[in-house]
Amino acid sequence: MNLLLILALGGLMHAARTFDAGGAHATTLAFGFVLLTAFFAGRIFSNLRLPKLTGYIAAGIVVGPTVLGLLSPEMVHDLEIVDGVAIAMIALTAGNELDLKAFRPLLGSIYWITLFAVVGTAILLGVAVFAMKGFLPFLSEIPLLPSIAVALVVGVVMAAQSPAVVVALRDEMEADGPMSRTVLGVVVIADLVVILLFAATSSLAKSVFGAPGELSDTLGLLTWEILGSLTSGVLVGGLIALYLRFVGKQGAALFVVTVCFVVAEVGSRLHFDPLLVALAAGVLIRNATRQGDLLHGQIEMASLPVYVVFFAVAGAHIDLRLLATVGIPATVFVLVRGFGLVAGSRIGARVAGSPEVVRRWAGFGLLPQAGLALALAALFVKAFPAFGADARALVLGVVALNELLAPAIYRWALVRSGEAGKRVEEEAPDLAEEAQPAA
Amino acid sequence: MEAQAVQGPEVVIRLILALVALLGLAYLGGLPFVQRLERRLRIAQLVTAGFPFVALGILLGLPSVGILTESVVGTLSPLLGFGLGWIGFTAGFRLDVRELDDLPKGTARAVGFATALPFAAILASVALFLLATSDWSRFDLSNPEFLRNAFVLGTAGAMTAQQAARLLGDAGREQRTLLRLEELAGMVGMAFIAAYFRPHGEGIGWQLPGTAWLFLTVGLGGVLGVLAYVVLLRSDTPAESVLLLLGTVAFGAGFGAKLYLAPMVVCFVAGVFLSNVPGEHRARLREALGRLERPIYLLFLVTVGAIWDFDDWRGWALLPFFVGARLMGKWLAESLIQQTTEIASNDDHWMARRAPIGQLSIAIVVSAQLLFPEGGIPILETAVLGGAILTELLAQIFARNRTKAQPALTPGVEP
Repeated sequence: MNLLLILALGGLMHAARTFDAGGAHATTLAFGFVLLTAFFAGRIFSNLRLPKLTGYIAAGIVVGPTVLGLLSPEMVHDLEIVDGVAIAMIALTAGNELDLKAFRPLLGSIYWITLFAVVGTAILLGVAVFAMKGFLPFLSEIPLLPSIAVALVVGVVMAAQSPAVVVALRDEMEADGPMSRTVLGVVVIADLVVILLFAATSSLAKSVFGAPGELSDTLGLLTWEILGSLTSGVLVGGLIALYLRFVGKQGAALFVVTVCFVVAEVGSRLHFDPLLVALAAGVLIRNATRQGDLLHGQIEMASLPVYVVFFAVAGAHIDLRLLATVGIPATVFVLVRGFGLVAGSRIGARVAGSPEVVRRWAGFGLLPQAGLALALAALFVKAFPAFGADARALVLGVVALNELLAPAIYRWALVRSGEAGKRVEEEAPDLAEEAQPAA
Repeated sequence: MEAQAVQGPEVVIRLILALVALLGLAYLGGLPFVQRLERRLRIAQLVTAGFPFVALGILLGLPSVGILTESVVGTLSPLLGFGLGWIGFTAGFRLDVRELDDLPKGTARAVGFATALPFAAILASVALFLLATSDWSRFDLSNPEFLRNAFVLGTAGAMTAQQAARLLGDAGREQRTLLRLEELAGMVGMAFIAAYFRPHGEGIGWQLPGTAWLFLTVGLGGVLGVLAYVVLLRSDTPAESVLLLLGTVAFGAGFGAKLYLAPMVVCFVAGVFLSNVPGEHRARLREALGRLERPIYLLFLVTVGAIWDFDDWRGWALLPFFVGARLMGKWLAESLIQQTTEIASNDDHWMARRAPIGQLSIAIVVSAQLLFPEGGIPILETAVLGGAILTELLAQIFARNRTKAQPALTPGVEP
């Protein structure tokens, strides 16, 4: 029945597309179409014991411009308006989950895993990119020293994680426990670490290419972005907390969605990171106020449509033709990245003396990749216009493969670690049995 | 970097001001003493009808504030189409045809008087006004824009706000049903306008006669209703119901708008279908609608406020013509209803019952603006939005004497 509904919707969409091509109303149509088809695709994937999230992404690929073309590139571009809101909502959720008291025992694990898995993998990927120099046209003609610097930058970009996927899967699987909490902590910290590493390595690379004076600009920009984002986040968190405290549930979901929209729109204009702004807001609400649980309930209701469209649009961006071109090197880097993250995570967890469940499974939670890598790849193109586009195509290939494969792997890890369904178990013990098979 | 540092604080201050304004509105609206004050001042209707959110939209859209700038409003324009679909869907879902079974004799005639007379009065006076103020050098008899705009305003003015039935504490089923039927008449009017005054151009496909578009509107609404019925049966949790409802309405509204039909009419037909097909989906749907109705409607109003071009003097000049003709038509209709039907009515308070202009009327002019972006619709928006506030105040004043002894009712947001 799910498949029949998708086919019916596809038929109607095809009929509508024969009328004319564009207009603002095309966005409304595309929004409804994506929401429904991705939702039912998620159901089909869930029945196959795969993450719903992968179903949303797969639906986006199939109906997107490169396969069936039911969504035009303009429609996909217009739907990107959801991206900012989704990222802000996901970060608000992640921040609101970061109860610092509960996370204190995990801080050692988070620190060492971030160091070995994230920083270590960035270096490993840099080495791999340099080693494959002969197979990468954009690197093969660059002299030795600059090519080392560029390889390092590309390595950092490819090492990025995806807090969005991790938070969405954690919600979908109702997972809780030391492993999923550690993974959440690491991917949030890794987001900052990767941004800093990118700034440092790209400035280094630029100076190697003979562009002195860039470093101070980059540092200024970074300071503005990080400190400005955190300060704005505290203000936004304060506003949300005030609303929840004095107004309560009345219109709270609308207020939160509106705040996320404003954070995304205004934040990007100011060169703030919406993820950091919303994350800081969430952390403040959870740890400095009593409104954390109320916020959680309000986000939960409003987040499902936003997540579905966000991941479907991410899928629609995946260009399968590109995978045919960069497929082989991208596969190699996906394997290197996966090895680096899993092995680095095990070493980090061992050094920190983490529980066995963290040691065995946390690395798989670091595999998902999405928006940050794409954003950094876009910055890379701006920084190195001569060969940036080719490097970006490679990164897009790596991200595409990780988007398709990594959620299923992390889902498997959550089930095998026994943390799937644990949140339901804690909230309502009698419902735990029902939730486990569904997950 | 330098540019950001200069621009940064301004934008941050505006952002904070916007958020504080939203917070302040929500907080003030929730305070018991403010609600008591609203009731005492008889402005509870205006507040619950969402006019402060229109005002907020105007404020945020001012160039000096610069939050809802032209580019942001452009980005948000799909929200208007979706909002229209949503309003049509909720209005359709509330039209239960079983309620029509045992209505008193003469109901059809009463609805006919209550809608046709104000429609005719507005059509005549507004058409004359628009003709007199139009640019004669560009006048084209084959494409009479003034007539189309008069039709739009006549349709918008024919309906009465749903909360009018409760203004006098008169919450009878009969009155509510009459007002629902007025909405139905308004939807039919909008369907006719979209079918027979279609935009022309090279990029527009499917050249069909107007009547075919009318059938297509109803057919599309029916198909979407069936699709929505099947889709909504698949929801397991309240969050999924919300998602499927949002998806269905967006798809229906987008589909209708893509064919240059009125999205609210297409979604209205789908809503009527869902409301009248038996099944458990109705309770789930009602719950999801209850959860989302107000937030979506208020966001719609903020966007309407932001796009409202109230600078054109013709809109304000049109306002008394529109309101005057509408009140005259409604008064005449009320007199004829009393004389020719058995429907209970109190002639002393026809103003309170018939005057208020509802959100569906606002939605009709916004819908017309989306359908005919080049056609001087903004002045109609001024007339309807201004008229909605004016008639609401008039109705409250007329209702005051009767309900002096009782506290005023505060109905929820229409539609």
